[in-house]
Amino acid sequence: MRLLLIEDDLILGEGLRDFLRTDGHQVEWVERLEQAEAFRGDPFDALLVDWQLPDGSGRDWIAARRARGDMTPMLMLSARDLLGDRVAGLDSGADDYLVKPFAPEELAARLRVIGRRRAGASQALLRFGSVQIDLAARAASVDGVRAELTAREWGLLEALALRAGRIVSKPDLEHLVFTGHSEVSSNALEVHVSSLRRKLGRDLIETVRGMGYRIDAPAS
Amino acid sequence: MTAGSTDAAQPRLPSIRRRVARALLGWSLFAGLAVALAVAMAVQEEVDELLDDTLRASADVLGGLLATQADGMVAGRAPMARTSSGNGTDERFAWQLIGADGAVLLRSPRAPAEPFRAPHGAGFADTPHWRVFGQALGGGRLLVVAQSRTERAEARFEAGIHAVLAALAVGLLGYVSLRATLRHELAPLQTLSQRLSGFDPLQGSASLGGAERAELAPVHGAINGLAQRLARRVASERGFSAHAAHALRTPLAGIDAQLAVAQRECPPALLPRLTRVRDATRRLQQVVAALLALFRSGAEPQRQRVALDALVGRLPLEGITVQVQPGAVVDADPDLLAAALLNLLDNSLRHGAVHARLDAPAADCVRLHDDGPGVPSARRQALQAAIGDARYEGQTGLGLMLADVVARAHGGQLVLPEPDDGRGFVVELRLGASGEPPSLTSH
Repeated sequence: MRLLLIEDDLILGEGLRDFLRTDGHQVEWVERLEQAEAFRGDPFDALLVDWQLPDGSGRDWIAARRARGDMTPMLMLSARDLLGDRVAGLDSGADDYLVKPFAPEELAARLRVIGRRRAGASQALLRFGSVQIDLAARAASVDGVRAELTAREWGLLEALALRAGRIVSKPDLEHLVFTGHSEVSSNALEVHVSSLRRKLGRDLIETVRGMGYRIDAPAS
Repeated sequence: MTAGSTDAAQPRLPSIRRRVARALLGWSLFAGLAVALAVAMAVQEEVDELLDDTLRASADVLGGLLATQADGMVAGRAPMARTSSGNGTDERFAWQLIGADGAVLLRSPRAPAEPFRAPHGAGFADTPHWRVFGQALGGGRLLVVAQSRTERAEARFEAGIHAVLAALAVGLLGYVSLRATLRHELAPLQTLSQRLSGFDPLQGSASLGGAERAELAPVHGAINGLAQRLARRVASERGFSAHAAHALRTPLAGIDAQLAVAQRECPPALLPRLTRVRDATRRLQQVVAALLALFRSGAEPQRQRVALDALVGRLPLEGITVQVQPGAVVDADPDLLAAALLNLLDNSLRHGAVHARLDAPAADCVRLHDDGPGVPSARRQALQAAIGDARYEGQTGLGLMLADVVARAHGGQLVLPEPDDGRGFVVELRLGASGEPPSLTSH
């Protein structure tokens, strides 16, 4: 998943960024809301927002994004543990609320829940014909045989699977998969799509000419 | 909190209403009796004077009549004198006309035959049965009019007793009236008490209301002032608590995140060490969370029925095994109880215990008995005394202090009983009775 983390504490921000990256996510970490605004228009799978930030309230920022019609999943991270604070955080538009201190493993699990919700599934296993994608284990298999995927191939597959049934444009896919990576060739996306088709079958990823790529909605 | 238990232990206090009512009754009786006595004495004096005046007036009237007719009556042997034969003691009023020689010349029909007194004795005099008044007539004769002393005493008694009864009735009515007034005037105190019981100065809209009596206005003012200072202080502490929470929770989350990354990146040989560090961090997180919850101003323990085995199951314990009484359930705040138990078990572990038993002798008591070396009896008593007085600094470790603070937050206290078998160390978290029957949760 491509994530935007807004956290002003350096130890926590760096720790979460590195942990989530080792989990295979693309993580953009900023310390201020104004830095986050620089990413406006960029596609993210989820936003991780601290409540108390140096240049404003993360809660108000989430509410403003929701007011603008931004439907990106947002998860609030806060040291405020009172019931009223949790309710206020969720009422501002956050999809989830994590009280500090929390285990990063729990944050990762909640992100998987967000991912499943976006994919329209209640479980971590998504089935597309003979292809099965395990979002929790970050693995894919064809007819029960595990396919060996590189990190970028998995990132591409996950980005499409989480948006199954919808066309994802090439620029958005490049943002979701390659942001933060240097030395990405101009046809890298096509190369990875081709590789995924080779490993998982040609029918899984559909090319919509002039628009992008799409994976059909998973079987219920 | 457990106000009920403290109320039960409170001695019966003297009642202002009862004490004032008793004083009123005493003073009413005293005043009634004093007034009655004074009135009775005055009435007797006046009755005596009135009766004497009556005697004197009677003598005047009778003397006038006898002055013109007495000679004829005596010469004609007036029938009233001749026919009278009584001694006169049953008569209320009588008279005699006594001659110069002292003989009774004339007398009323039931007057005694013997003269009331010597003929030269004009004025008032008393005989055993009569109050007499003598008035000299011409020729050495003396008119004596007399009233029965019994009748005079009866008149004095009746007048006196009515006066006494009236005074006592007034005193009694005064007592009843003053008692009703007292009850009415003390009612604002009860109203104030009721308002105070529902008064929460931490609620912004809370108000004690106006005073119902001028004497209570200073009390209202003092309470309102106290409430305002308390609300300001709590607001300040809450602000501080929020900052403290942020300042403590965020670095703890950062430490855990960094350790989680390190666990993934480290050489396998370092993994056990990092895992232990991370476990310790989680325990620290729990303690900090419990402390923040505990010291947050205005926060009350969220009491629930807590299954001890489930609670212990989620504690990060290493190096000590805990045997929990099957089915043991207590009524406590699960987070605070977890923090207290974690610290007590840490204590046990650091003092050499490898096994502990956890029981719930009652719904408001958790008993921990470890197999460590324990402490000498004198040291245990010193610890208990320090805990009893909340003198933790320099006396107890953080574990016992935190556990006692948790127990006190529940309305109870930490107790260190002598181990039944004389071995190990025993701690009882007595949590105090709960106000309402809670629902079961499997924290």
